[in-house]
Amino acid sequence: MHQLTGLLATNFGSPSGVTTQDHYTRELWRLSGYFSVPIGLIVLGLITFAIVRYRHRPGEDRKPAQFQYHIPIEATYTIIPLVIVAVIFGVMYNAENHVTKVSAKPSVAITVDGFQWGWRFVYPNGHVQIGTGDYNNINNNNDLPVLVMPSNETVQLHVVSLDVVHTFYVKEFLFNRDLIPGINNTFDVNVTKPGLYPGQCNNICGEYHAYMRFLVDVMTPTQYAAWYANQPACSVTTAGVPGIQNGSCAAINAGADFTGYTQAPKG
Amino acid sequence: MTILEERPQLPFEAHEPSLMEIVPGPRPHGIVKFVTSTDHKQIGLNYLFTGLAGFVIAGLMALVMRTQLIVPNNHFVTENVYNEMFTIHGTIMLFVFAGPFAFAGFGNYLVPLMIGAPDMAFPRFNNLSYWLYLGGFSLLLAGFLTNNGAAQFGWFGYAPLTEAIHSPGPGADLWIVGIGLTGFSGIFTAVNIITTVFTLRAPGMVMFRMPIFVWNILVTMFLILLAFPVLTAAMALLWIDRHLGGNFYDATKGGQPILWQNLFWFFGHPEVYIIALPYFGIATEILATMSRKPVFGYKGMIAATLSIGALAMGVWAHHMYTTGAVLLPFFAAMSLLIAVPTGIKFFNWIGTMWRGTIVLNTAMLFCLGFLAMFLFGGITGVILAQPVLDFQLHNTYFVVAHFHYVLIGAVMAGFGGLYYWLPKMTGRKLSEKWGKLGFALLFIGFNLTFFPQHDLGLRGMPRRIETYNAGMGWNFLNELSSIGAYITALGVLVNAWNIFTSWRNGELAGDNPWDGQTLEWACSSPPPDHNFEALPPIRSERPVWDANHPDMLTKVGH
Repeated sequence: MHQLTGLLATNFGSPSGVTTQDHYTRELWRLSGYFSVPIGLIVLGLITFAIVRYRHRPGEDRKPAQFQYHIPIEATYTIIPLVIVAVIFGVMYNAENHVTKVSAKPSVAITVDGFQWGWRFVYPNGHVQIGTGDYNNINNNNDLPVLVMPSNETVQLHVVSLDVVHTFYVKEFLFNRDLIPGINNTFDVNVTKPGLYPGQCNNICGEYHAYMRFLVDVMTPTQYAAWYANQPACSVTTAGVPGIQNGSCAAINAGADFTGYTQAPKG
Repeated sequence: MTILEERPQLPFEAHEPSLMEIVPGPRPHGIVKFVTSTDHKQIGLNYLFTGLAGFVIAGLMALVMRTQLIVPNNHFVTENVYNEMFTIHGTIMLFVFAGPFAFAGFGNYLVPLMIGAPDMAFPRFNNLSYWLYLGGFSLLLAGFLTNNGAAQFGWFGYAPLTEAIHSPGPGADLWIVGIGLTGFSGIFTAVNIITTVFTLRAPGMVMFRMPIFVWNILVTMFLILLAFPVLTAAMALLWIDRHLGGNFYDATKGGQPILWQNLFWFFGHPEVYIIALPYFGIATEILATMSRKPVFGYKGMIAATLSIGALAMGVWAHHMYTTGAVLLPFFAAMSLLIAVPTGIKFFNWIGTMWRGTIVLNTAMLFCLGFLAMFLFGGITGVILAQPVLDFQLHNTYFVVAHFHYVLIGAVMAGFGGLYYWLPKMTGRKLSEKWGKLGFALLFIGFNLTFFPQHDLGLRGMPRRIETYNAGMGWNFLNELSSIGAYITALGVLVNAWNIFTSWRNGELAGDNPWDGQTLEWACSSPPPDHNFEALPPIRSERPVWDANHPDMLTKVGH
């Protein structure tokens, strides 16, 4: 019995998330697994049985049956899948409402701007964290833009594209959201586990798409408060481009020309 | 093409006077026939082999991609070359190979034969369709000859990356026009085949006696008529944006990039079924013939095809769950519902094999490969149809693995179709020995390439990245996947060799090598011009079987 419950608690290979939404996403993933693994095995089993049992052996004189319809069986395999689909939809509908809920009063609201090929994170006091990946070395994790946020609080991210379509994607959040010119997207995350998580643009956005990486630094609320208090209004922290630690807020918000704030593409 | 052996006596009497008049004199052959022929069989072969050429070329591009990704931080090709590779790989696979190979290649060749018609309704129009298609294919490749290279924004080219400011140069224009031409080709083929099916069926061939393959092609053609004009219009708007300042997709000037996504996927999702339905039909025909049985649940099968076609028009935004700009529950419900008719098909296929005498030849093995791979692709499809899970997996390698399982399932059925029908088209059977080796290599290769990609997606690897960080836990799975790609390439080579040699020296097939059931097996291999000298009486959906096996007619009732 214990082994059975252990089997049912499997995540079917899905990683654990670090947000409060993780619960809904993985519950749905498990539910899909409970239905699809047995159904897949039954169908494969029937096919295997048929080709083993009914294959034509040389010298055999068996005549193939010539039946064509069996309404009760056909009705059964129409209705049962309909019921399964309805159940999945019901659970999914509930989960979806939780995952897409946007709070009216988030603890922190951060604007996430995506551009070719980097990120700009703008905090309520005007502090900016900006940067691109190292175009010469994908293995360089030190010079990435960093999104700093507190744990165990509702953080609202407002994602905006400054040029083409990008996607904000952090694997541990189990979440993607597109940055599309002309559409303003907002979503909430509540991270339960402080830590450093890699993120990456997840929509082809041109030559250096692969290098459009960032880090999410989730701090405890006290650490975050201390960090935030240390960031003067309209200050700029750049990644991988030392020397412009204190650019002007107005200059960097003036347009999408980040020359000097970001690493130069190679060549 | 010549008839390779004397025709044996047909088992049925010719009950009508000869259906055609043979004009004596030399017939065009070789290149002249290739260029000028309006014969549906010649045009069908043109499509089949142009499609296969596209498959090989786009497959080579896949090898370049897999070689680039075999180790992290690799510099086998530059970023731009990599982006060109996946863009043109996807575009050619979908617009030149997977779709036209089945609906225009097999469709052209087989639909008139299966309904007892002498040719398509509009033979010259048919010839035009092929040349538009070949023109589109050439333009897609011509992008590589331009100074900025071919298109680099992925096969679904999301605006505004496709605008002139972000993608300058003629490569993107050639992509637009190339797709536009294949789009027109598809529309013309659809008009032609729909007219053929509605007007040229032989006496006795009522709609509910048409083979499942013809039904599936018919529904596919209606999907093309609904979807391709939208694609062609979207491409035209993009071209206007790039050259005439249209601003349709430019948000800075009042346009809407999301409009492109809606238009493109309004085409793009029906396209998935435009690709899949003909292969379902091919698999159904092979399964029935090789099991020596009628298609189980024939009418339920047709109902399933029709409902897949109907639902296919209402699921496009499941590609756009993460845009935050679509009605999630509606598209989720529609997408999940498609699983039901697809499931019906699976159980009907199993019912077709049940208590038959199954011949496990190469065509049948490919068919079983299709069933296994498509089953897995279908299950991951149900997962991705749920917005909450799509939020997690969108655009990761999990999605790449999912749709390659679906499409390669279809390709498996397509190869099965080649092994099944090439004897009809060429008069010679393909070698079973090479065929089985080719099947084994392809099946192992495909699965080794794409199964690890599910896990890569769960581990967070985005699609379309040119290289990746060594510390993400993606290294080993990528290595496996690349090795799988090389095995696949070997499998393609073996099958190509088999087709090449068997065409010249293969065992003679005769009219009906598989004990087939449908009308194409009633004429010679290859069929003569205008197809039939005489038709067996059509009293069910398998007239040739009825004529050959009067003692084994379909049992009525259940």
